Amino acid sequence: MSAMWYYVFTLVFFLFDYFILAMGLNIQYGETGILNFAYIGFVAVGAYVTGATSLPNAAGTGQQYILGWGLPFPLNLLLGGLAACLLAVFVALIALRRLRTDYLAVVLISVSLVLYDVINNYVPLFNGADGLYNVPEPFASVLKLTTNSFVPFFAALTGVVALLMWWVMSRITKSPLGRTLRAIRDDDGVAATLGKGVFRYQLTSMLIGSFYAGVGGGLIIQFGGSFNPTAWLPAETFVVFAVILVGGVGNNVGLLVGALLVETLLIHLPAFLPDIPGHPGLIEYIDTIVVGVLLMVMLWFRPQGVVPERVRRSPFSLATRSSKTLDDRAIIVPTNDGESTPVIQQETANG
Amino acid sequence: MTLFWLSVGFGFVTASVLAISAVGLSLQFGITNYINFAYGDFMALGAYFTYILNAEYLHLNIWVAVLGGSLMMGILAVLLNQFLLSPFARRFSKTFYVMIVTFGLSLIILNTIYSFWGPNVRTYVMPLEHVVHIGPFLLTRDQIIVMFVAVALMIGIHLMLKTSRLGKSMRAMSDNTTLAMTSGIDTRRITTITWFLSGTMAGIAGSVLGITEGNLTPAAGELFLFVIFAAVIVGGVGSIYGAMAGALLIGLATEISAAFINPAWKLDVAFVILIFALLFRPSGLFARPGKG
Repeated sequence: MSAMWYYVFTLVFFLFDYFILAMGLNIQYGETGILNFAYIGFVAVGAYVTGATSLPNAAGTGQQYILGWGLPFPLNLLLGGLAACLLAVFVALIALRRLRTDYLAVVLISVSLVLYDVINNYVPLFNGADGLYNVPEPFASVLKLTTNSFVPFFAALTGVVALLMWWVMSRITKSPLGRTLRAIRDDDGVAATLGKGVFRYQLTSMLIGSFYAGVGGGLIIQFGGSFNPTAWLPAETFVVFAVILVGGVGNNVGLLVGALLVETLLIHLPAFLPDIPGHPGLIEYIDTIVVGVLLMVMLWFRPQGVVPERVRRSPFSLATRSSKTLDDRAIIVPTNDGESTPVIQQETANG
Repeated sequence: MTLFWLSVGFGFVTASVLAISAVGLSLQFGITNYINFAYGDFMALGAYFTYILNAEYLHLNIWVAVLGGSLMMGILAVLLNQFLLSPFARRFSKTFYVMIVTFGLSLIILNTIYSFWGPNVRTYVMPLEHVVHIGPFLLTRDQIIVMFVAVALMIGIHLMLKTSRLGKSMRAMSDNTTLAMTSGIDTRRITTITWFLSGTMAGIAGSVLGITEGNLTPAAGELFLFVIFAAVIVGGVGSIYGAMAGALLIGLATEISAAFINPAWKLDVAFVILIFALLFRPSGLFARPGKG
């Protein structure tokens, strides 16, 4: 197999993986309105726990890590997802219950930074700054896969996992649970008035999203065989946000488009370009600047994303809506030349 | 006990840097009502502007360079608000959009710094340090200047807020923008001035951080941003005096703890304080109605 196919399947893997990550962030932000700026932290916890549960006992490996159970493929991934959920419970109990909007965003970004700091500095946990490596490749020994045939195999496997998780997610968004989550996103006060326990639903959404984050992270560590702190700098959260905003918030198909445009074409494809002589890393810096600029241009000219959220009409609704997309409501017409006055919501009775 | 007093001295230095940056961030948050996630990169960029004036061209004295560099950052902050942030804030009612824009701006500034100066550690050109004994403290001359700068800035901000027309307008806008506007306050002008002050203070804080740490790296501001957030939240979001108190508390706590535990955990001490503040007093020490 030529080197080009190796690259192509690497891109395919990241497309599917970021589709999973985007679905997880989308249910938190797109469906429920939780600004999870610590998202990449959940991805990392999933990756580390998947890695540490599939690696054999740490003694004699030259690495330091906890767990080391040597578990096979689907089990370690599930544990990775559940570990991310555990972090979500912790974060939700301290921050989500008390804080709203920007305040919550600040605390979450702090959580992400501190998580980074702890894992980077506390070596016995996940091998510190060196990170985990030599993580076993799933099915490689059973199917006798070589390094070359493993990449297309795992890309396909990730595709299957992504398809499965997409099916589950579309069931969730169509269900009464999904409707309630969108109601909370649009106005949590109204949802509370209708007898919905806002915090419980937000926690549910956090848990589902974190599970997706954990599984997505687990797939990353199994694909590359290694994972260290440079892979999840807090700014990576921005990339996942870019995926869902470019693709279309609240639309699962849009997320796949976003993953293709942002993650595959903008982030990973330029990584294969040769370095400019004398300027190592310059392409990567310029690439990141392009992603930032693209997102701003996109937000300004097409805030609903490439594939906008469909307006879901109740069959019993008598009202006719002229607006085609929900996001028309997100744009307000300035009534004067001053700044609009965004309101930071106070704690609601249920929160 | 000597070690304790030494770390108290360093605590005051850290608190000074923290106070300048936290007040700069709080001023802007109070007026525009959204968090500027690019603030850490404003600090870094200001520090590199100072570096240009001090080490690359002109070769100015470090403190003259700090003044010039931070004024450049202040002007850049005004331009960024005028052409990027303010249009987004006016167009979208949800603060999320403008917050994501500041997040993107943070990436853009950070990678611009990387493109120009690379990831290598830089140092300012400064005269040799004289160590001075003041009571139980042991400080360098530059650290003492940093503390004086911080105290002078805090007094200046206090006087401006309480006595000048500008300060009163700022406080009015921070309480209720619409009411301030209907009372005849030119809110756009106040917003512009606030961004200038916020950018300048970010520039001073970033440069001063580079001086006290002895080096500057592109990501220094971003790492420091969390400590600023901790100080601002502990003090009470949007409250200038809260930011000052929070800065003092977090600055002293992190440095004193470093004398007893591994200094690598400084950041986590700030985080633990933040968690306790959130659990027991989520709106901060100096909570203001409508800002929490």
